[in-house]
Amino acid sequence: MTESTDPGRRTVTTLRELPQSIEPPQDLWPRIEAQLEERAPGATRGAAMPQRRRGQALRWLAAAAMVASLAVGVWIGRSLVPGAGGGVAPSTTANRSSVPGVAPTTFDTTYVSDPRYERQRTALVRALQERLAALPAPARAKVSASLAAIEKAKKDLEQALGRDPSNALLQELLINTYQDEMRVLTDVHEASDPGRGI
Amino acid sequence: MSAGEHFRFLENVLPCGDEGLKPFRSGAPLTVQMPHAQAEETRVDWGGALLERARAGDRRAFERLYREHVGRVYGLCLRMTRDAQLAEDCTQETFINAWRALGKFETRSSLATWLHRIAVNVSLAKRRRSGQVEPLPEEEEGMAAGEWILETPVEVQEIESAIGGLPDGARDALVLHALYGYSHVEAAQMLGIAEGTCKAQLHRARKLLRERLGVEVS
Repeated sequence: MTESTDPGRRTVTTLRELPQSIEPPQDLWPRIEAQLEERAPGATRGAAMPQRRRGQALRWLAAAAMVASLAVGVWIGRSLVPGAGGGVAPSTTANRSSVPGVAPTTFDTTYVSDPRYERQRTALVRALQERLAALPAPARAKVSASLAAIEKAKKDLEQALGRDPSNALLQELLINTYQDEMRVLTDVHEASDPGRGI
Repeated sequence: MSAGEHFRFLENVLPCGDEGLKPFRSGAPLTVQMPHAQAEETRVDWGGALLERARAGDRRAFERLYREHVGRVYGLCLRMTRDAQLAEDCTQETFINAWRALGKFETRSSLATWLHRIAVNVSLAKRRRSGQVEPLPEEEEGMAAGEWILETPVEVQEIESAIGGLPDGARDALVLHALYGYSHVEAAQMLGIAEGTCKAQLHRARKLLRERLGVEVS
């Protein structure tokens, strides 16, 4: 390598002699600092997530929960609820009121931790396999797919709430999802009742 | 010392164990600013302390890290994008992403390498968004890692220009491997390609450089 005052005119004999470091023409720090978040980096994953991405994640979760609810509602309307073949899906409120022993009127977290809910759900889940066996194969497949979608939505929402426990929208979506699950379990229970049929 | 000068002085010091505060000259590497005997002993602590402070949300500490690494990050981005404005954007995004992901940084790996990984990802993403995607060459096995020695000396400007004229894939592999010293495996991982593909890109880069510079590259 030979000495030269002009860095560009300097000669090299290996590529490793090329400068690894090149200073940017202007100081980029003010622009970077302006975009750094107020919170400490990595304090919590939720806190570190940029606001825009957080909003997108919430929208995705909301969309997923809505799709799951809609799919379940339509499926119940068409396949399980006797006399509902007219094409009008039952409303959430109507279905909620059909759950024995559980008749919430508003969304609140006490619904989830209600011991009556827990007891009812446990009993329904225990009898689920037996009840499913009584359903025709296509209906069974739809129920399983719906329950799997609901389970996935629950897990996603619970994870999101773990990161942002005070988020009211997430709480509401989670309650909705619990109710959807309960509704499917109840409808399966009723639909597979020998006295009612599909 | 005026109040402003005093403030600037305080801004430019870094705690150093029991020895109180030592002046910090941004721009020069941390180790250069310490007596030689101390340097090896305290180098890691200083870097670690800065990292810890940055992780805890100290922007001043993160600014120090930025000042220490910005040249290498910008150099890589510039060589990958061949566009000064785009390279500035990539550098900026690299440090913003790094700040947000500092909690996930594993201290057993080098901060410089970690920043380079982010910079490569950002640069590749920017290039993809601008539609500059080229087909990958076929994998090539058994290509030995060369020293990239030029048969005769070449001016920096000339060789930088020749590198800048290489196709994207060949240039990426060459820059990471031959300039920044990453192994085939590391360069391939950073670029998200197979090791064989990386070697093939290097082979292609060597051939093209030889043609464009008119000198043997061994």
